[in-house]
Amino acid sequence: MTVELFGMSRALAGRPTIDLPIDGPIDYAGFLRALADAVPALVPQVIASTRDALVEPNLILLDGRRAVRDGERFSADDRPCVLFLASGG
Amino acid sequence: MAGYVGPRGLLEIDLTAQTARRSELPDAVFADTLGGVGLAVRLIDERVRGPLDPLGPSNPIVFAAGPFASTPVPAANKHALATISPLTGLLNEGLSSSHFSAVLRRCGLAAIVITGEAVAWTTIAIDGDAVRFEDASALAGLSAHDTTKALRDLAGDRSLRVCAIGAAGERGVRYASVENDGRQAGRGGTGAVFGAKRLKAIVLRGRGEVRVADRAATAALSATLRERALGPKTAKYRVLGTGANLRVLQRMGQLPTRNFTAATFAGAENVTPERARESSGSYLELRAGCAGCPVQCEHLYVRKDRDKRSAAASEYESVWAFGPNCGVDDLDAVLDAIGRCDEVGLDTISTGSTIAFAMECAEHGLLPRDAFGPPLAFGNGAVLLPAIEAIAARRGLGDLLALGVRAAAARIGGGAERFAMHAKGLELPGYEPRALPTYALGLSTCTRGACHNRAATYDRDLRDPVEHRGDDERAHDAILAEDRAVAWDSLVLCKFVRDCFEDFESEAAALWSAVCGLPLDGDALRASAQRTWERKRAINARLGWVPADDTLPLRLFAEPIADGPHAGRSVDPARLAALQSTYEAQRRAAASSLLAV
Repeated sequence: MTVELFGMSRALAGRPTIDLPIDGPIDYAGFLRALADAVPALVPQVIASTRDALVEPNLILLDGRRAVRDGERFSADDRPCVLFLASGG
Repeated sequence: MAGYVGPRGLLEIDLTAQTARRSELPDAVFADTLGGVGLAVRLIDERVRGPLDPLGPSNPIVFAAGPFASTPVPAANKHALATISPLTGLLNEGLSSSHFSAVLRRCGLAAIVITGEAVAWTTIAIDGDAVRFEDASALAGLSAHDTTKALRDLAGDRSLRVCAIGAAGERGVRYASVENDGRQAGRGGTGAVFGAKRLKAIVLRGRGEVRVADRAATAALSATLRERALGPKTAKYRVLGTGANLRVLQRMGQLPTRNFTAATFAGAENVTPERARESSGSYLELRAGCAGCPVQCEHLYVRKDRDKRSAAASEYESVWAFGPNCGVDDLDAVLDAIGRCDEVGLDTISTGSTIAFAMECAEHGLLPRDAFGPPLAFGNGAVLLPAIEAIAARRGLGDLLALGVRAAAARIGGGAERFAMHAKGLELPGYEPRALPTYALGLSTCTRGACHNRAATYDRDLRDPVEHRGDDERAHDAILAEDRAVAWDSLVLCKFVRDCFEDFESEAAALWSAVCGLPLDGDALRASAQRTWERKRAINARLGWVPADDTLPLRLFAEPIADGPHAGRSVDPARLAALQSTYEAQRRAAASSLLAV
């Protein structure tokens, strides 16, 4: 699964995308654990120390369009993006 | 409690008569308004009782200090600046920040009201209790930065705090800004109101003590806020700055491009400030921020082979206005445009949007393509600086564009109105309302015009642009965002620490009470914000606002988004009207509740 990184997650990872060893659909917490394993630098600035939640106001948008809902499973086809959406300025 | 303990002085200055009168505001005013924007709006409300000429002597300029300025509270050295806008004809309340805000209170002042007009360029010098009117003829034409330096050199005092206008304000450009400490009150043309009064600068020297009511509680609450403001919730602002929005909005297909004719920009990557940051071999990054703020959000960039004094701020809105919105993918051209706007004292959003409007008019044969030398065309970064110079000097076509897009379109005719991206005369900021329905509602109802900081309803929309929410919920979200913005702007706290509160109303009320010494709880804070919003609309109504003015640019209704994942979406006028009706019903119910308290 290819994950697109933006803002802080991209700055911490030092690259725009990361490939995770995930084949099928995965839930939110499982995705974050896999992402934290692949990029430990994301903890605790982007991913909480518990490794199963994002630090607000970071979030996952699928194809940059839709936030992952509670309990929802998603796959590589959904093109997850990790964003920091607080705006202004 | 022993009453309001902060500075409570009200200084009323008449530039025509060259007089100053000082009085003290009672506790009830602070309990009613909190300070900042709440106080500024109340002072405008008391003085503007009917239509007036924004560039005439009766239009008041009000400075109102934030109640936390010059205290240990972080991210709070701020003040409100309110007047009637020459761009919109309606109330314009903006913010600025840093040392000037703090010293305003050290002069014992809660607010300054300036009316009248001088016969020659004038500086108002406030030195503690004393006020002097000084000839500023020698400062005419200088930037705010150079004006500050000249005034400090003249006084031999580097500690003077100065707010000033540049050449654009002197010449009455209707979106001229006011600057202090490198910070701008940018939107709505307050700089032109300064210029009309021949007010070049205000100089402060104050060393008075600013007391807080409960030192221990203030210290504890401030320490908590400071710690949170240094944590992950503000990391984006500290590490990257707001310019990081550009890549995000491009990915989401919500980056207004070429005057809102597209929602993605092929050259976006070339102008993102993050790219400059990543190209450390080419660009020097400098950091700046407001006094007393742990976030230090401002990221300035300049090519390493250039003078670092020409480094320009890379705020998202500014980069967007001259980059994607003008179709320009040359970061150096964009940074130069931003830097030049700061020197001449122009609002970057309105300037970039007005140039984008002119580019589209030229594309349709409504304006000459060669008016500024290099072709006035989307994508041509070479035309930005000549256009800015002409606008600031009000020379040639620049004189017309100095009026803003609404007035310029009316004079150009030939259908130019369909290219004028404004709400109530204020040019749109860099979010795509056709993909953000709650934001579209907030943009239409905002009392200031198209202001993303007063109608910050985009946050929830951005989190889920295709979520289907009912009208009641969207109207509620819009009202909550508006009233919360008033609360932030009255306290005055930087909105970049908004996620650093767990329960904003109750925590902010406790902080205000500890600092100011009057009782306040979350409900009272909400009620104060709501009263101020009602005052804003009442002022606008007296100035001629009617409900039909709460609308959006024609393009957003008539032309669907052309590209990207939201292609085909537009604002349905019937849908917006229904949302506004629900919004108004909720506003009326809330006003009734307020009266019943």
